[in-house]
Amino acid sequence: MRNSGPFALWRWERLFGEWQAFGEGFLRTVEVAILALALALILGIIFGLFATSQFKILKAISRIYVEFFQNTPLVIQVFFMYNGLAIAGLRLSVFLIGILGVGIYHGAYVSEVIRAGIGSIPFGQTEAAKAQGFSYTQTMRYVILPQTIKIVLPPLTNQAVNLIKNTSVLAMISGFDLMYMADSWASYSLDYGPSYIVAGALYFILCFPLATWARNYEEKLKSNELYRNQIETVEEALIEQ
Amino acid sequence: MSLILHVFTPENLKFLLKGFGLTLLLSISIIIVSIIIGAILAFLRNYGAKTVKKIAGAYIEIFRNTPLLLWVLAVCFMLPFGNVVFRGGLALTLYTSSVLAEIIRGGLNSIDFGQFEAAASQGFTFIQTLRYIVLPQTFTRIIPSLLSQVITTIKDTAFLQVVAIPEFTRSGFVVMGRYTKTSEVFLIFTFIAIGYFLICFALSSFVRNYQKKINYSI
Amino acid sequence: MKKATKVLFVLLIVIVLSFSLASCKDKGAGVDAIKDAGVLKVGVKEDVPNFGLRNTDTDVIEGFEVDIAKMIAAEILGDADAIELTPVTAKTRGPLLDNGELDLVIATFTITEERKLTYNFSTPYYTDAVGLMVKKDAGYAGLADMDGAVIGVAQSATSKDAVTAEADKLGISVSFSEYATYPEIKAALDSGRIDAFCVDGSILGGYMDDTTMILPDRFSPQDYGVASKLDNTDLADAVDKMITGWIDDGTMDELIAKWGLSY
Repeated sequence: MRNSGPFALWRWERLFGEWQAFGEGFLRTVEVAILALALALILGIIFGLFATSQFKILKAISRIYVEFFQNTPLVIQVFFMYNGLAIAGLRLSVFLIGILGVGIYHGAYVSEVIRAGIGSIPFGQTEAAKAQGFSYTQTMRYVILPQTIKIVLPPLTNQAVNLIKNTSVLAMISGFDLMYMADSWASYSLDYGPSYIVAGALYFILCFPLATWARNYEEKLKSNELYRNQIETVEEALIEQ
Repeated sequence: MSLILHVFTPENLKFLLKGFGLTLLLSISIIIVSIIIGAILAFLRNYGAKTVKKIAGAYIEIFRNTPLLLWVLAVCFMLPFGNVVFRGGLALTLYTSSVLAEIIRGGLNSIDFGQFEAAASQGFTFIQTLRYIVLPQTFTRIIPSLLSQVITTIKDTAFLQVVAIPEFTRSGFVVMGRYTKTSEVFLIFTFIAIGYFLICFALSSFVRNYQKKINYSI
Repeated sequence: MKKATKVLFVLLIVIVLSFSLASCKDKGAGVDAIKDAGVLKVGVKEDVPNFGLRNTDTDVIEGFEVDIAKMIAAEILGDADAIELTPVTAKTRGPLLDNGELDLVIATFTITEERKLTYNFSTPYYTDAVGLMVKKDAGYAGLADMDGAVIGVAQSATSKDAVTAEADKLGISVSFSEYATYPEIKAALDSGRIDAFCVDGSILGGYMDDTTMILPDRFSPQDYGVASKLDNTDLADAVDKMITGWIDDGTMDELIAKWGLSY
């Protein structure tokens, strides 16, 4: 009798006949991840700067954005865009929903990282810059941001990893991403084992180098006393407001 | 008002609250078990023998670098035992424990190695050092990141709707299926969002106050 | 230090093992094992009117397929109520059978060559055809009007192949969106994400409302069979004998008439 095990060789053979579908899904995931990351960075920088500005109204706007998107599930947000907005007449493509949904959700996290990064620079520096006649924009541009970028790179990279993983939410709304393609093939052929292993390996290839780089870079920064203190400030400030 | 009464009939409300209860129950059990497994993994990766270190490391890296949804589907469709709620919970636990392991490890690593040496010179055994010196400090330090992971886990339980586990999101969608008007659908979305927001926001406010208190006391 | 990590490692293994050991009693079993257990575990639908539908008043699942399950239980165990019904979806029914949580699946499970590689199927007890549900205001009269349309199907269902074959015959092209469960397909139809909800006719009936209609097109007759685990030939043979017996002596036709099913 033929081996009917979940990892039988013939299941693998059949799967590799489907490499094009998996390839398309992988490309879709990469595209959505890159564009969503770009959106998350833009939103994160804007709202992160809002949070550190002197204007109460900007601070409040930033707070509402962050609290709303950090405290409700991504699944609900994406389904709202998919079914909720569509029923109201606004029918966005799933590709666009992937970018907007994942991008806006992670933008809230990026905003918190940026806010904490800016906050970790000792206030004395802002005062010193002011004393030298720097405007707010100049202080930001030449003094605060260059230092902030170094410190926030590791937490931002971790956000990028989470973002890539979260693009899989598209599978739930027929998004033709890697997870959807793998799941669709798994359900159709009943070759669950091979499909999920291949999908997992492809996600791992995307995420593992980023996560490892972030950790090593952070270790390197931490070996410098000044950065070490700032990184710890960021870690604490990420929760405290 | 009539819209609200039309959508939130006693049957629908009961159904939604049941889903909310399951979400809470799942979240609490997943978090407790994940903290235990996460702590064990963190210790093994930090202080274990060479092979043990590698195994713990591999587990953590594999789960941290692949999507939760993949594990939910894989565990639900391939695990040879357990009902679907158990499977879904297990998938989330496997995934969450890898994240928590790294948080706990971060806490352990932030303790100055000199403290181990000092304790050893005072005649403390390794276990005693952990119990009386390292753990209390680690715990205070990681509480904020731990609680933000708790919030993430509560939100992540929404992924379980994909395997038809009747948690809060799923029950919301089921109720939504009976209505076709925009206002009705929006109302249900709002209700689900508020449900999650209330628990998550309460927790994050708690973290914030706790953190402030700690900072004052130090 | 070494001792402590050893203890922790053992603890971890104990946790993992206790998870897996909890299962050993659940393995798919032959007829004797079912007799030993005293209960027949069957996966049925709970959202398909007349086949397997949960009665919201009594919280009991009832329908044509539930009756078949009861008859099999009566045959094996001498008690029609010695069954444990588990609600399944198109996607979960196969895996639940694989992992031994269920002895049989009687859940509008279409027999295909592909699936025969993984499961045992009995002689078909019912034949259904694939149908299409559309919004009334979309103005479709049949599949022939639907060139370029997006059709929502359930993952792990055979309807995708059926519609593709039919569309090829008509010389039109359609595309597909797959969803995990039927309510998600209905939501996508309501929100205009898809133009048609396509699944076996029997299932469509459960999702009708004032805004939808079912097109007259019916295609690709689907044979439903009782599925069991591939290596559990003992049980499969016994069930097949019962089904063929009931088809021959007219019991099956009576049951079909009782639930008002028409093919």
